Amino acid sequence: MNSPKEAKMDQIEKIVQRPLLYNNIDGTGEIGTGFLFLGYALLQWISIHLPEASIWHQYRAFLGFALLITTIHFGVKAIKKHITYPRTGYVEYRKRSRTCGVNWGGMAIGAGVGALFGVGIALVHRSHWGMTTLAALFGLVLAAGYAWRIANAVRWKWAVAAVMAICSLVLAKLPAGLVGTHSWSTMFPDNFEGAWLLTMMLYGTILMISGGISFVLYLRHTQPASETAE
Amino acid sequence: MNLKTRRIAEIDRVIHEPGRLMIVALLSAVEQADFLYLQHETEMNKGTLSSHLSRLEEAGYVEVVKTYRGKIPQTLLSLTAEGRQAFAQYRRRMKEAL
Repeated sequence: MNSPKEAKMDQIEKIVQRPLLYNNIDGTGEIGTGFLFLGYALLQWISIHLPEASIWHQYRAFLGFALLITTIHFGVKAIKKHITYPRTGYVEYRKRSRTCGVNWGGMAIGAGVGALFGVGIALVHRSHWGMTTLAALFGLVLAAGYAWRIANAVRWKWAVAAVMAICSLVLAKLPAGLVGTHSWSTMFPDNFEGAWLLTMMLYGTILMISGGISFVLYLRHTQPASETAE
Repeated sequence: MNLKTRRIAEIDRVIHEPGRLMIVALLSAVEQADFLYLQHETEMNKGTLSSHLSRLEEAGYVEVVKTYRGKIPQTLLSLTAEGRQAFAQYRRRMKEAL
């Protein structure tokens, strides 16, 4: 157990972390990510159902993602400007990680996820696993990351992390045929797109619901500040 | 005086006060924040928060900029380079002293 002095240092570290958690106080972080996942699933669904020769297939990645990212960027900005800042205050985050030096933490996580994905695809190719198992593993990694970053700070979000983990296990039990038989290239298994479409839909919906609940709770528990000088 | 006692004696008293420590810790993680944000996070009333901010401004640790958000007055606060250095040193000294 920590001594009272060590507990004081822990408290200081927790206070330093609070501005970072403030970014999702209104649920916009989860709503944005959920919207991205659902948008991705929609683009995937359109691409599966349109003919191969369609002009959509040439431009969907660029146009679709550009539209998604733009909508999320400006949507979240508008919510912050008109709802969050007048209620609980304005915060401008430090740009150090983007402007100076290399973000080693982010690069390490990206490399780790990439390596896991590669190993997963290799295992699927050797036919021990179905695509749904790989998608389920991706879900478990996502649930663990969610628990670490978000549920640690907001207690009821542990329930969301648990739902994510349970859904990941259910996903692994689904029959491979259910997720369709389509893929971008011969490098990936046949039902690759279908499996990811299902995964993105599932986690996108969970994140949108969780973010939506946070947003409603935020509105209920805060009031716009009075328009007087500080 | 032994080393540990000397370390404790060297701790910056401006930052060590709990209210001001909270303000400096919050500002250390951001580029700038407004008065309302600090009030929400610290749960201090306007008078207490203003008095702590004045003390930090006097010490040269916090920069205060009065501006407007639309027609509403807004007070933006940020740690100065000196303030960041003082907080980093405070954390280091506290760890050494514990």
